[in-house]
Amino acid sequence: MSLTKLMRPLVRSRIPTSTNSYPSATITPCLARRTYAMQTPGNPVMEIFNRRVKHLQKDRAAHNVEESRKTDYIKDEVAMRLCERLLDIKRDFPQVLDLGANSCNIARALTTPMPDPASETGGTLEPLASRISHLTCIETSAGLLNRDMSHGFNEKLAITRQVVPDLETLPYAENSFDAVLSSLSIHWINDLPSLLAQVNKVLKPDAPFIAAMFGGDTLFELRTSLQLADLERRGGVSPHVSPLADVRDVGGLLNKAGFKMLTVDIEDIVVEFPDTFSLMADLQAMGESNAILHREMGPLSREVLLANEAIYRQLHMEEGARGIPATFRLIYMIGWKEGAGQAQPLERGSGQLNLKDILGGGSFENK
Amino acid sequence: MPSTKTRPIEKFAKATAKCSAEAAAYGKCVVADYNAIHKDMCAKEFLKLKDCFLAASKKV
Repeated sequence: MSLTKLMRPLVRSRIPTSTNSYPSATITPCLARRTYAMQTPGNPVMEIFNRRVKHLQKDRAAHNVEESRKTDYIKDEVAMRLCERLLDIKRDFPQVLDLGANSCNIARALTTPMPDPASETGGTLEPLASRISHLTCIETSAGLLNRDMSHGFNEKLAITRQVVPDLETLPYAENSFDAVLSSLSIHWINDLPSLLAQVNKVLKPDAPFIAAMFGGDTLFELRTSLQLADLERRGGVSPHVSPLADVRDVGGLLNKAGFKMLTVDIEDIVVEFPDTFSLMADLQAMGESNAILHREMGPLSREVLLANEAIYRQLHMEEGARGIPATFRLIYMIGWKEGAGQAQPLERGSGQLNLKDILGGGSFENK
Repeated sequence: MPSTKTRPIEKFAKATAKCSAEAAAYGKCVVADYNAIHKDMCAKEFLKLKDCFLAASKKV
C-alpha cells in the first residue's frame, strides 16, 4: 500500500480510487474521521441569588412605608460611615453614581452636616453635597427608590433616580463618573467580578469607587441557630441565610477588576433585638430576606421557629443582656481607577528607613 | 397595611415569651452537644416547650 493512499483524508488530494484498492476496512474509518476542535468553556455563569425574588422582596418591603422607614437604621448608619470616607478626598465630584441606592440613603447622608473633627466646640462641616454637582441613584425596585421623594434632602442635591432592570449590567458609557458609591447593595450581586469590572469602566481615570457591603460573618448567630434547629427538628439543613463574600476575597476581586491603591477594612455593628422574631421581621422589612436560588420555598415551619428561638437565646445571648445580639459585619472597600499622575506605590526595596527602628522589636539575630 | 392589626408573628412571639423556662431547657439540651446533633435528640424537651407554647397561644 502506498503512502499517499493512507494520507488521503488528511491531504485532501483527489486520488481516483477503485473500490477494490482499499486494503482493509479496519484502517480507513479511523483515518477518515474528522472531528471538530473543542472550544474550552468560558467563565462559569454565576447564579447564586434569585434576582426576581430579591426584587419582589424589596418592592414588598417598600410598600409598607412606615415599617420600611423604621428599619432603615442600619442602612442610614452605614451610609453615614461610608460618606465619612469621602471627607478624606479633597476634591469636587461633578458626576457621582450611587449603585444600588435602596431608598437613597447615601443622598440623605451626603446632605447631613458632618461633625468637624478639628473643632473642639462641636462645630460642623459643610455637608458633602456641596462638593457634588449631580448624583445618579440606580436601584431595581421603583417602590424603594422613590419612597422618600418628598423628603427635604432632595432639594439640597441634584438627584436623578433611575430604575434599572438589574444591577449587574451598568447602562453607562465609559469614563462617565467622577466617583461611584455603593452602600449595602452589592452583596446581592450574582457576578461580582463582572460588575466591578464594569464599575471600573464607567469611572473616569483616577476616580474612586467606594462601597460597603455585608460580608462573611454577618448574622452568624441566626445562621448557626437555624442550622441547629433544622437539624434537631427535621434532621437536615436548608440554607436560610444567604451566603456572603469573605473579606479576604474582596481585595483580590478589586485587583482583578483593575482597581489600584486598594483599601479594604471591616467593621462589626452588633444590634440587640428583643427576640428572633423581631430580628427576622426587621430583616424582612429591610428587604434583606434570604434570596438564595436553591432555597426551600415557603415560610419556616413553626416548629423550627420555636426551636430556633430557644437555641438562639441559649447559644448567643450574653448573661445579663436584655436582648439577643445580631452581628452585621461590614466590608468597606475603596479602589481607584488607574489614571495618569496617580500616586504609585514605591518600588520594592527602595525604602530608606527601617520600620524596625520606628516600631521596635522583631529582631531575628537574637533568636 | 394598617399598623393596628397584629401580625401572626407577633402573637407567636408573645406566646413563646411565656415559656422561657421550657425554652431554656430545650436550648440547653441542644447546645450541650451541638457538634453531634441528630434528629429528635431533644424531642422530650421540645414537646414540653411545644405544649407550653400551645397552651400559651390559646390565652393570647
